[in-house]
Amino acid sequence: MASSSHTRATVEMQQRDAVYPRESPLRRPAVGREIIGRILPPLMALVTVVALWWMVHLVFPRLLPSPLSTFRGAVRLLSEGGFFFHMIQSLRRVFVGSTVAMVFSVAVGIYMGTVVMGERFFQPLVVLGLTIPGLMWSLIAVMLFGINEIAPYFAVAVTIFPMLVINIWAGVKALDKELIDMSHVFHFSPWLKISQVIIPQLVPNIFAATRYGLGLAWKVVVVVEMFGTSNGVGYQVMKAYQIFDMEAVIAWTLTFVAAMILIEYGIINLVEQRVTAWRPKVEVWRR
Amino acid sequence: MARLQVRNAEKWFQRETGQPFKVLDGLSFEVREGCVTVLVGPSGCGKSTVLNAIVGLERLDRGELVFFNHDGQSQQRPLIGYVFQGPRLLPWKTVGDNVRLALRGAGVAREKWEDRVQRYLALVGLEEYVTQYPLYLSGGQRQRVGLARALAIESDLVLMDEPFASVDELTARQLRETTRRLCEQLHRTVLFVTHNLPEAAYMSDFVVALTARPACVEACIDNPLPCPRRWGPEIYRFAADLEAKLSLREEAEI
Repeated sequence: MASSSHTRATVEMQQRDAVYPRESPLRRPAVGREIIGRILPPLMALVTVVALWWMVHLVFPRLLPSPLSTFRGAVRLLSEGGFFFHMIQSLRRVFVGSTVAMVFSVAVGIYMGTVVMGERFFQPLVVLGLTIPGLMWSLIAVMLFGINEIAPYFAVAVTIFPMLVINIWAGVKALDKELIDMSHVFHFSPWLKISQVIIPQLVPNIFAATRYGLGLAWKVVVVVEMFGTSNGVGYQVMKAYQIFDMEAVIAWTLTFVAAMILIEYGIINLVEQRVTAWRPKVEVWRR
Repeated sequence: MARLQVRNAEKWFQRETGQPFKVLDGLSFEVREGCVTVLVGPSGCGKSTVLNAIVGLERLDRGELVFFNHDGQSQQRPLIGYVFQGPRLLPWKTVGDNVRLALRGAGVAREKWEDRVQRYLALVGLEEYVTQYPLYLSGGQRQRVGLARALAIESDLVLMDEPFASVDELTARQLRETTRRLCEQLHRTVLFVTHNLPEAAYMSDFVVALTARPACVEACIDNPLPCPRRWGPEIYRFAADLEAKLSLREEAEI
């Protein structure tokens, strides 16, 4: 038994030495410190918000429920059967609308950044789109399509489309001309040029646009659901508002925020890390 | 036999003020098959403009470019390999994928890709770096990848635009030796641009010297040095001969 654990320890040491040889001054970073470094800052931010909330509750106890009672309300929501149904309805609307907007905005952004006539045609339309509030699009969508699934998809897609296009267009304008020339010299087809040279350079813009777009899409979906659907988080928030149930309004909001944070850390961050694995870490503030 | 003839090439650009200025003034020369033709001239005289016109990145205002196939028949612009001043590698692609993409762009059959990638990266001494990303390589290694990429497509003509100007002298010397050896070994037709006379003396079979801007041909000189080329005093002697014959010391005004 002792011999087996000794052998295992020796193998582990050899494996570690293969990556960090003894003579190397580099040492494996302490796992505990790494975890604390990742978890502590966002946890501190969360604690600060809850502390501020608590203080406001202490001053205006009738207006704002305490974080604890709201948390209990959120747990109660989670244990109710309808919660996941409504949450999935809202998330589906956010994702479908955002995906449609993203696909079109990448195409239009690249077109605007690479073809002068395209830029001249779309620029006034995009600026016009930026000035129209999401609330207006929500009303127009419900009036145009009625109370059905098309209305939230349309409202989300049309509202976030100009913001996404602006982001992608700015990215295309900053493309590395030397790499584009290289792709021309080596006879890259238009598809190869777009997929292997242009889109990889737009990755930071695409991720920024995705984050921004999802945040905005959620706001628009809630508005459309308030008066244009009979389910979803917005519909539930509206119901709670009509009976002035502040605890339920905040509890629904918190659960949706939690879902969006899960999407950010569980999906977007992981995909981004994978896609940008080639990029060396830049340490601006060296210690 | 010529693989490319540049005939009476004329090119104009515009300053920011809108005032036009001439860069190439009736430039004519030829690139011989299986030889390294070195285009040498002062900085800013339009050497890179000639290369850009050859690959289609710039359009000549007057004159023509005539490409010839192995039988001496004129043909459309063929596939051309290019080693740029900087490596111009896609940083999100591995070394192997950078070469593979060039092969894909050049229309090389997929079943030949792996063999070509291994072969040409081995020729430049980077066979162990196939899966590495370019940002983790040194400047000289990246330039070697650029060289492997240009050679791997096995094109009729390879252009090299001051490919060793951005690396230190020791690395540049190693790269010159590798490039010259590969050109001799693979019998590639190369048009090499430089303003460095010892480099021109070492790399060339044939030197085309340009005047300051607007550039025209000042002299065409055969390199008498034996092959395989060795770096030694005779290189500097030939470079001094070139300098004596040419008026390269005068820098072009921009």
